Amino acid sequence: MSNSPTNILDIKNIEVRYDNVILALHDVSLKVPKGKVVALLGANGAGKSTTLKAVSTMLASERGKVTKGSIDYDGNSVEKQTPSQMVNLGMVQVLEGRRCFGHLTVEENIISGAYSRKLSKGDINQELEKIYTYFIRLKERRKSQAAFTSGGEQQMIAVARAMMAKPKMLLLDEPTMGLAPQLVAEIFNIVKELNQKEGVSILLAEQNTNVALKNSDYGYIIETGKVMLDGTAESLLSNEQVKELYLGISKKGRKNFRDVLKEESLNKKSN
Amino acid sequence: MVEELLFFMEVLVGGLLAGTMYSLVALGFVLIFKASATFNFSQGAMVFFSVLAFCGFMQDFNIPFVLAFILAALLMVVVGLCTERLVLRPLMNASEDTVLMATIGLGYVLEGLAQAAWGVEVRRLDLGIGDFPVPWIADNLKLFISALDIFAGLVAALMIIGLSLLFKFTKIGLGLRAVADDAGAASSIGIPLKHIMLLVWSAAGVVALVAGCMWGARAGVQFALVDLALKALPVLIIGGFSSIPGAIIGGLIIGATEKVLEVYIGPFFGGAIEGWAPYVLAIFFLLYRPEGLFGEKIIRRV
Repeated sequence: MSNSPTNILDIKNIEVRYDNVILALHDVSLKVPKGKVVALLGANGAGKSTTLKAVSTMLASERGKVTKGSIDYDGNSVEKQTPSQMVNLGMVQVLEGRRCFGHLTVEENIISGAYSRKLSKGDINQELEKIYTYFIRLKERRKSQAAFTSGGEQQMIAVARAMMAKPKMLLLDEPTMGLAPQLVAEIFNIVKELNQKEGVSILLAEQNTNVALKNSDYGYIIETGKVMLDGTAESLLSNEQVKELYLGISKKGRKNFRDVLKEESLNKKSN
Repeated sequence: MVEELLFFMEVLVGGLLAGTMYSLVALGFVLIFKASATFNFSQGAMVFFSVLAFCGFMQDFNIPFVLAFILAALLMVVVGLCTERLVLRPLMNASEDTVLMATIGLGYVLEGLAQAAWGVEVRRLDLGIGDFPVPWIADNLKLFISALDIFAGLVAALMIIGLSLLFKFTKIGLGLRAVADDAGAASSIGIPLKHIMLLVWSAAGVVALVAGCMWGARAGVQFALVDLALKALPVLIIGGFSSIPGAIIGGLIIGATEKVLEVYIGPFFGGAIEGWAPYVLAIFFLLYRPEGLFGEKIIRRV
């Protein structure tokens, strides 16, 4: 294909509406280069989850629709695809809130991730052992019912389950939500490792700006359905405004980028 | 004394075996409840529809027994296919209540179709197994137990073993349990919901056919089968809506208690209490153990 190569994911100016009315995203453009980790940052309700679901085509099951713009995955539009077709194409989303199958054992949860692949029992066991090398903690708990594992373990189950589908790209929706700092670090280490050793490209939605940027190559900041700022992870980490608004190193009472822009335009006028 | 004990045993065993007939009907409900979290009100109509078609194939077209059964089973797969395509898929984003209402409508459609195609008269279904006491047991154990009851018990046992193995050890079973837990998460990892739905509705259709054969052989193939299926409701409340063993045990409990109560307490109420006694039992369960004996507790981490 002519346009395949460097970017595995290319979102161009998408607008998303729920129920044909509620405007959730109005202008989001974003690129994920092959083999990289890209962070999508923003507060609650900014549109991070909506963006991810637009990519994985899971929007349809929530009555959402991409009304403008385009999403290309691996050189092809995702418009006509279903979530299970996207999984077959190597794109798997790890949903917000972990969403383990509570009544299944840890191991059954992980195996269920291979559902779309035609594997023999032996192949599955081989894959399983490989997955356990990344998630050592889960191997110890393989026979437990997933609902009774800890929050961190459930997040690991969700990622491990997604990895069983052998994805080329993972969409992670707030993988560290509600986890203790130590576990946050553990999860990110695993994500990093999967990225480097398995070559999985990752688009990561996070509120935890600091940790997310430290573990990413590139970052986008969205607010009320619009990309406000993007740049390499280092440049964002050292950006004064990002520091102030997202890293809690605050000077004045400004709350978001819109306030910053307003202030700047006021300054220009008074000059 | 011995005679009284024997009589009690007879009532109890008869009740337990009759209970397996309820279990068979309840099994169909459980299958669908597991996958779509919906009480399928059309299950009774499916029982009626399937067994009437079975009789129709045999009696109107002179198709041999086994072939007619296979045809009727295939027909139920087609019904499952149509249900998935025409009812469930368009309602994919609808609430569970909407789907519940849709199953009521589906029930009416099936009842109407069945009677339009095969007529309204009561048909006799002969499985080759009589609904009379087995002589061997009557002679040796002094118990009068119907051969049909024993047969129904065996069939129910086979179905539960088969379905349990299917759920526990096959890929499609794993997919089904995953969908039952969280359909959204299941679809996010590539489990195709429509295949699972199709499978479940077809399986429920075949289970309905088997249940219909048992009931039809006993009571005649007639419209009243639709309402008989409602007896599965207390069975499910007691056993748990999402548990296959629960459907079986619930059926046994209902069967045994209604017969025992009918015989020993019935006279004080002027008889015929087996019609409502199961519902009273169900109310007690709803009050004290709403998830049923084997239903999955809603697990919440605290």
